[in-house]
Amino acid sequence: MLTANLPEHEPGSLRRRREAAWDEFARHPMPTRKSEEWRYTDISGLDVEAYRTLVAGPGQENGGAPGRTAIPAPVQAVLDNGQARSAFMVQDGGQVIRTELDPELKAMGVLFAPLLEVLESHPELIERYLFASSVGPAEVKLWALHSATVSDGYVLHVPAGVVIPDPVHVLRHLDQPGALISTHSLIITEAGSSVTCVDEYVSPDLEPGSLSLNGTEIFGADNASVNFISLQRYGSGVKHFSMQHATTGRDSRVVGFNVTLGGDLARSDVTSHLEGEAADSEMLALWFGDGSQHFDHNTLQHHVASHAHSDLLYKGALTGGARSVFRGLIRVDPKAQRTDAYQTNRNLLLSEDASATALPNLEIEADDVRCSHGATVGQVDDMQMFYLMSRGLSRKQAERLLVIGFFEEVLSRVPVDGVRERVREAIEEKIGL
Amino acid sequence: MPDNETVTNLGLDEYKYDFVTDDEPVFKAEKGLSEDLVRQISAHKEEPEWMLDFRLKALEIYYSKPMPEWGGDLSTLNLDEIYLKEEWEEQGIIFESIEDGLKLHPEMFREHFATIVPPQDNKFAALNSAVWSGGSFVYIPKGVDVDVPLQAYFRVNAEQMGQFERTLIICEEGSQAHYIEGCTAPVYTTESFHSGVIEIIVKKGARFRYTTIQNWSNNMYNLVTQRALVNEDATMEWLDGNLGSKLTMKYPSCFLVGERAHGSILSIAYAGDGQHQDTGGKVVHAAPYTTSQITSKSISRGHGRATYRGQCKVYEGAVGSKSNVECDALLLDETSRTDTYPYIEIDENQSSIGHEARVSKVGEEALFYLMSRGLSEEEAMTMVVRGFIEPIAKELPLEYAIELNRLIELEMEGSVG
Repeated sequence: MLTANLPEHEPGSLRRRREAAWDEFARHPMPTRKSEEWRYTDISGLDVEAYRTLVAGPGQENGGAPGRTAIPAPVQAVLDNGQARSAFMVQDGGQVIRTELDPELKAMGVLFAPLLEVLESHPELIERYLFASSVGPAEVKLWALHSATVSDGYVLHVPAGVVIPDPVHVLRHLDQPGALISTHSLIITEAGSSVTCVDEYVSPDLEPGSLSLNGTEIFGADNASVNFISLQRYGSGVKHFSMQHATTGRDSRVVGFNVTLGGDLARSDVTSHLEGEAADSEMLALWFGDGSQHFDHNTLQHHVASHAHSDLLYKGALTGGARSVFRGLIRVDPKAQRTDAYQTNRNLLLSEDASATALPNLEIEADDVRCSHGATVGQVDDMQMFYLMSRGLSRKQAERLLVIGFFEEVLSRVPVDGVRERVREAIEEKIGL
Repeated sequence: MPDNETVTNLGLDEYKYDFVTDDEPVFKAEKGLSEDLVRQISAHKEEPEWMLDFRLKALEIYYSKPMPEWGGDLSTLNLDEIYLKEEWEEQGIIFESIEDGLKLHPEMFREHFATIVPPQDNKFAALNSAVWSGGSFVYIPKGVDVDVPLQAYFRVNAEQMGQFERTLIICEEGSQAHYIEGCTAPVYTTESFHSGVIEIIVKKGARFRYTTIQNWSNNMYNLVTQRALVNEDATMEWLDGNLGSKLTMKYPSCFLVGERAHGSILSIAYAGDGQHQDTGGKVVHAAPYTTSQITSKSISRGHGRATYRGQCKVYEGAVGSKSNVECDALLLDETSRTDTYPYIEIDENQSSIGHEARVSKVGEEALFYLMSRGLSEEEAMTMVVRGFIEPIAKELPLEYAIELNRLIELEMEGSVG
């Protein structure tokens, strides 16, 4: 049983939360293809008990985690790339091994620390924000598993009016085969503050495979601005489930950007709750799949308050026998008049065996709205290929260049220069340009 | 590539939208539906033995399938309360009834019947297969161009009567025809139920258009399976207007199984107070260079709900396929609701698929402009709505376009204030 690996003594309320989450986990069946949200991704056979959990409290025997303190080489390589950072954290096997925060920001009251530490140092923040998001029926099973097995993570709290100039970069390394890691990110802003977070996942190819769960909760206060980027470049063998909930306050702006490159199976459930008037949510994603990779993005733009704006652009390219699913829903509540909501999904199929499924959905219960969605599935343009090849590029080079061009529309909307560069590097590494 | 053999692999036997459901008995009919009744219908129609067997098998399938849990609310639909009427009047039909089709052309009938919509397809197709009665049998011989539309007009006038019309249309190579079906039902207090099955085979190079404008009374459950098999170089066009009924669930389908086959679905829905129009279309590309276009326009008023539900499936090997889907929804009141649920499943990279949908309310500028010209708000609103459905109305024969406009005007009465 998974619980056997959990530590006996834990800070604050974590033990109680775990027990409640295990009850919740036991109460719900594994999602099956009968559920609309899981119709194209079958995880009914996922045996979570086949994985070892890597959980340990501070000052305890680690629950099978590597227990290293040196920064793993693949992470160090990213840290050495010369990009500016206001803070960074390194996690290894779900444990935090290094946390650095610009002392000036610390003096201004910014909190950036491991979740396990914050449980004891700031119980009031934990009480108010940890696992506070409302989770839909499709996510409830995995969210419960995540909450029950969470090993660590981070809390970032930005006081009112504080602008964090450079990205906060969180690097997560995993090299244990057959492990279950579960980490949580809590981004809490106060009125008028501003921050950019980059969550990056790396691993070598793992055999037997590992299971990675991540929960992210973003609280955008009134007039706050949050950019959240998830860059997933796991090796083969990893199944990654990412559940992200953003809540937007009045006149706030939250940009979420998911880049999916690695793992055998990657599923993201991304929700934007537009709860403050005139809030703005931009939801972006890119993916490049090859081999037998299966990527599934399930999104919700939930307009609760009036005058809010949301815009989603998800683009993916697939080659080999890769498959992708996009299911997006714009829901406009009756009170959310004057909503502007858009949703676009574009898919590029580069090989005969690749396949894409798109389900862009609208549920509109207010009348004074502007909503639209579009989805396309297609191939690279013959004329563009011909042009590039007539300039001496090989078919493969030309195709890869067109994929980069296809992604540029999304990249250009990422509001932070350094982040754009980091993502571009990772994509080029994956597609081998 | 696909010939008639592959067609059997297209999932025609599967549950209509691949919604995974357990087969378990959920309903035993006492009052309306029974084996005896099915035997009576068959005997009354003096049917051959194979048709009785077919009906009885379909009845078993019907019992084994659960009610759909997607789409509209069927929880208040009580199938025990449905009675069947065996004889019914047909008006203005210039071709044979389905019963005569079976009697007079037994071989051709048996060859094609239930090949496009088998009873296993969905619960309501199974029910229809067991108890079908009435409908049309149309056969257009090779190369024949019928330039006057074939028209059928159904009228349901016995309260609590289930209407299980069944239509089979065969268009031989190179033929052309247009079939028009209009439905109205007087208003009754208890809910009524209509579940038709329309099967169309469009052979090589043929062109066929099927037009329905339904204005069922607002207590009618209208659950219809309409499907066409479209062969090489053939064209199928569905023109589907849904103005009436309490709940309509109808998704005209084109299975494009021959090279360069084309399917087109034009759909218009009007959902007034208490109505749910759950409509759309389905195109399956199973051969190279097939093309399709779905255009859907819906209007929701008062507490009405209009849902677009559609599927575009491209099988591997259907190279050069193109599909385009456009949905427009107009919301007239703050209590109105609209939904869009497209399913786009693409297994072939040499294809090009697009889907777009827009939702909006009637533009204040447009209303202001028209009212500044002296129209009342209601007149202005009606004119905007008429303009909105114009792309579909103009595809109709004149008398039907006038009828559609008149119906819209009637529905719009009292829309303001």
